[in-house]
Amino acid sequence: MHLHLPGLALPVLLLVVWQYFGGTGMLPSLSSVAEVLIHPSRDLLSCGSLLWSTSVSVVRVVLGLLLSILLGTPLGFAMGTSRVFRRFTSVVTELARPLSPLALLPLSIVIFKDTNLAEVFGAEHLKYSRHILNELQLGMMFILAWGGVFPVILETMHGVRSVRNVYLEAARVLGAGKLYTLRHVLFPAALPDIFAGYRMAAGRCWMVIIAAEMLPGTNSGLGYLIRYSYQLSRFDVMLACIFVVSVIGLLLSRGLEAAGEKSLLLRAGER
Amino acid sequence: MSFRVRGLSKTYKDPQGIPFQAVGPVDLNVPEGQFLCLLGPTGCGKTTILRLLSGLEEPTSGSCDTGSGKLSYVFQQGALFPWLTVESNVSFPLRANGTGKREAEAASRRILEQVGLSGFEKSFPHELSGGMQQRTALARGLVTEPDLLLLDEPFGSLDERTSIALQDMVYELCTRLFTTVVFVTHNIEEAVYLGDRVVVMGHRPGRIARDEVVSLPRPRDRMSSDFTDLMLSFRRTFEELVEPS
Repeated sequence: MHLHLPGLALPVLLLVVWQYFGGTGMLPSLSSVAEVLIHPSRDLLSCGSLLWSTSVSVVRVVLGLLLSILLGTPLGFAMGTSRVFRRFTSVVTELARPLSPLALLPLSIVIFKDTNLAEVFGAEHLKYSRHILNELQLGMMFILAWGGVFPVILETMHGVRSVRNVYLEAARVLGAGKLYTLRHVLFPAALPDIFAGYRMAAGRCWMVIIAAEMLPGTNSGLGYLIRYSYQLSRFDVMLACIFVVSVIGLLLSRGLEAAGEKSLLLRAGER
Repeated sequence: MSFRVRGLSKTYKDPQGIPFQAVGPVDLNVPEGQFLCLLGPTGCGKTTILRLLSGLEEPTSGSCDTGSGKLSYVFQQGALFPWLTVESNVSFPLRANGTGKREAEAASRRILEQVGLSGFEKSFPHELSGGMQQRTALARGLVTEPDLLLLDEPFGSLDERTSIALQDMVYELCTRLFTTVVFVTHNIEEAVYLGDRVVVMGHRPGRIARDEVVSLPRPRDRMSSDFTDLMLSFRRTFEELVEPS
């Protein structure tokens, strides 16, 4: 993101307006929100620090995203390369894709109870301490993977299917076998699309986790803190959390974009 | 490697499902080490013949027996892999056939030197000029030291000076490796300059209209009267082929 003068004008204007009207009615003053942001490791509402809540949400999303990448990439490849497999899976994926992961939250709680990774790893002694493993519920991972896996599958499939035929033919006449072609031609050629899928998945996972944390099934994370601060009418904490959600979302997207940059540069160089 | 083609034909279906014959039937006997130029107007099925020879497509009837020899193909637009460096592009066919990394790299360095691309090993294709990209494509085609090399208008998109330089290079390299070559082109001068033999293809279906051994001594002089006479005579064959539109 390039910051330049006209781009900064609007945020500054908004801050000025806020400063002017803040502290009256429901809107907390600018300085009270800034106070929360400036001390990220101070405990908030006995829920742990802002840093803690943020890490909980981020770690959940990173794990959920990893799951969707690990599941979605091979599935996307299979669907992109095999027409039979694509037809075999098409009805299920078409039906499952528009289903909001949040619709599955109660179901996931039924299936996974409130099992978390600490229990999975047998780290029972952590039960009453504030440890990240306690906050990684399997149900959360499930709905995050659900939210992220379809963009990964669809973009990977699209990328694989739109690889220019001339590359595949070149590989064939140059004597490359199926596996070699998959690894050294299909994969790199589809990489820009695959990365676009990862980026979309990251965005969706981030949206999903904040909403999911407001619902039953957990009592930690940024989403939870937003809802809890609302119940306690602590709007300064709430707005600080909202600001962090927005910034992290941006960083996630930009980070993956930067990671995929190289493959995009090479695509631009195609003739 | 010598090869023979018997009654080769290819029929496609157009989008309406109406079949049309693109090629044939074609008969050809090509002795080992011959540099054969397949000359014809655009759309006469020259490329289809290369695709049939290379196995990219199955013939509708007839056969092309290229035996067990090593075969290589250079595409019209090079078809270099944009995500690989020049060196990795060139070593691709070796690596794909299981040659070790170091050996493949050494071989691609050698061939890159022969096509005049030393120093560009680590460049990516899009950083090179059109001529250099085609040199890379040639290097990739020759690195396996093939018995039969198929070239599909490799210099069609280059300017004349670049193309002339590459013509000499490709002839020299192929002669040194005793490679049998099928060189497809629509450029009469290029065919007469390069070919030990020039085969002219006619339109719809692509059929052999003229088959002539070129006995002009090498190196050939494009300005000599023998050369221009031969070119003129091929041009007449060309004119007769093209239907009045």
